[in-house]
Amino acid sequence: MPLLEVDSVTAGYGDTEILRGLSMVVHENEIVSIIGPNGAGKSTLMKTVFGLLHPRQGSITFNGKDISRTAPYDIVLQGMCYVPQVANVFTTLTVEENLQMGAFPLGKADLSESKDRVYAMFPKLRQRRRQLAGKMSGGERQQVAMGSALMLNPRLLLLDEPTAALSPKLVDEIFERIASIRNTGIAILMVEQNARQSLMMADRGYVLANGENRHEGTGREMLDNPEVGRLYLGG
Amino acid sequence: MADSTMTMTDGDAASETGSGAEVAARSSDGVRSPRFVGGVLLLVLVAMWVAGWFSGTTAEEMLSLTVWGVMLGGIIALGGIGLTLCYGVLKFPNFAHGEFLTLGAYITYGSILVLPQTNPIWRFSFGWELLLGMVLAIIITAVVAIVLDKLLYRRLRMHGSPLVLLAMASLGMEFLLRGIVYLIWGSNYHFYYSGRANPAMDFPFGVRVQADQLFVFALAFILVVALYWMLTRTRMGKAMRATADNPDLAQVRGINTERVIAWTWAIGAGLAAVGGVMYGLASQMRPDMGFLLLLPLFAAVIMGGIGSAWGALVGAIIIGVAMQLTSAFLNPTYGPAVAFTLMVLVLLMRPQGLFAQN
Repeated sequence: MPLLEVDSVTAGYGDTEILRGLSMVVHENEIVSIIGPNGAGKSTLMKTVFGLLHPRQGSITFNGKDISRTAPYDIVLQGMCYVPQVANVFTTLTVEENLQMGAFPLGKADLSESKDRVYAMFPKLRQRRRQLAGKMSGGERQQVAMGSALMLNPRLLLLDEPTAALSPKLVDEIFERIASIRNTGIAILMVEQNARQSLMMADRGYVLANGENRHEGTGREMLDNPEVGRLYLGG
Repeated sequence: MADSTMTMTDGDAASETGSGAEVAARSSDGVRSPRFVGGVLLLVLVAMWVAGWFSGTTAEEMLSLTVWGVMLGGIIALGGIGLTLCYGVLKFPNFAHGEFLTLGAYITYGSILVLPQTNPIWRFSFGWELLLGMVLAIIITAVVAIVLDKLLYRRLRMHGSPLVLLAMASLGMEFLLRGIVYLIWGSNYHFYYSGRANPAMDFPFGVRVQADQLFVFALAFILVVALYWMLTRTRMGKAMRATADNPDLAQVRGINTERVIAWTWAIGAGLAAVGGVMYGLASQMRPDMGFLLLLPLFAAVIMGGIGSAWGALVGAIIIGVAMQLTSAFLNPTYGPAVAFTLMVLVLLMRPQGLFAQN
């Protein structure tokens, strides 16, 4: 049974339909990369999976439970966390407060173990824990955002363009983090502009166009597919 | 502002006209630093002090006025902090906020009428029944605020209504609540204890302060410190700041933002209720007191930087002191005008307010 199953989902805003009968799956401990042109519905797919937008038709199943109508704060508790593309840290809160907010649904539980786990993954954040997240660089913010999403130790992590607007060196660093996150047993569903690089590390990939999945396959198959290469990977 | 940004883009013209030094004192977008604005405000307050002194008020009396101004500032701060919290989390100016002060004052008044009265505590003019009535007022006003949110503001929010509609709805609510106060308690002025003496106590340097005024200031101070502690140390306080910072991300992080909003209303309205009781104690109760206080409240909040609790406190104290000092040589009914003049002065130098986060 897949960890996440999106079954013929239609979704959109107002009169505009952005996803048109889209289906996809993510298995346990797998990296799945979604690529596609701008406006293909990649971010909308992330929001719909996470419950920020409810599907008009079709169903979304996580961990065997239907979550099509579930609110984000319940989805988080079921083991799925999301890192939005932009505005993904609380700029007026410190790094440590950002992490605490990541574990908000746990109530008054002791967070020191979760914090230590995240700080071990992102050692720089421990040094900067009293600093305001708004005063940090783009790469550091991305670490705060991913760290906050990992506080609950989710089973599935959604990453919306984690490397957007970062320098090539930082892009490599973020991709390394993503690989090490997967090694701790967390499945990852990501949308990426750096399509080639993300497909190289992904177990499987989907190409989205016009709200439908055009192609799917293992990362290798996608990279070798001449049509995918010509249309979506820039030749 | 406009020509300073123009001279910034055209450096040569600026130095030729001799305004180069002035431009250099500003940051790149033509905004003065909080320290500079604070210095100007201090000068203005000193000028008011001197003006009062020259108009025949003794230095001792001016000192007393200053101390009373800090206390008035405490009352304005209690109302203003709720206003600024509400704005921070919900992003609309709640014009009905003044009515929470009125409600708090009148609910306490109503409680005193039915509760058994004890002897005055210490040198205060009031007994324990006022404190009990105040606790009741906090609870009832907080509940009223949450119910109003569920009945009115939440529906508008869910519809994705523009913020101006929420602001107008709150203005309507202001008139409705004021009407209800008129209906229940009438249009007469009331005192908590009419005819009971509250003699002033003498302090060093000829400062004369009533025990009640000390109480007002101490309570306002304690509540502001408690709120600061709540916002920086507790889980709900951090969630409130997180929701104010980025409501969408707050949802993504698993924060039930509707619950945070309910807490924001409860805390804002509860603090306002205390502010109303304090105002009723310091002067008198009238059905339009909340509406009249709304002007200095807004002036304090905007001056401090809307959305910042710290800014609301500092703005409130500056405005409270200014309103009291000018009463030495101006009719006190000009109070709101003084408040707004100071606000405009700050905005001219720093459009985002003293402590704005952005």
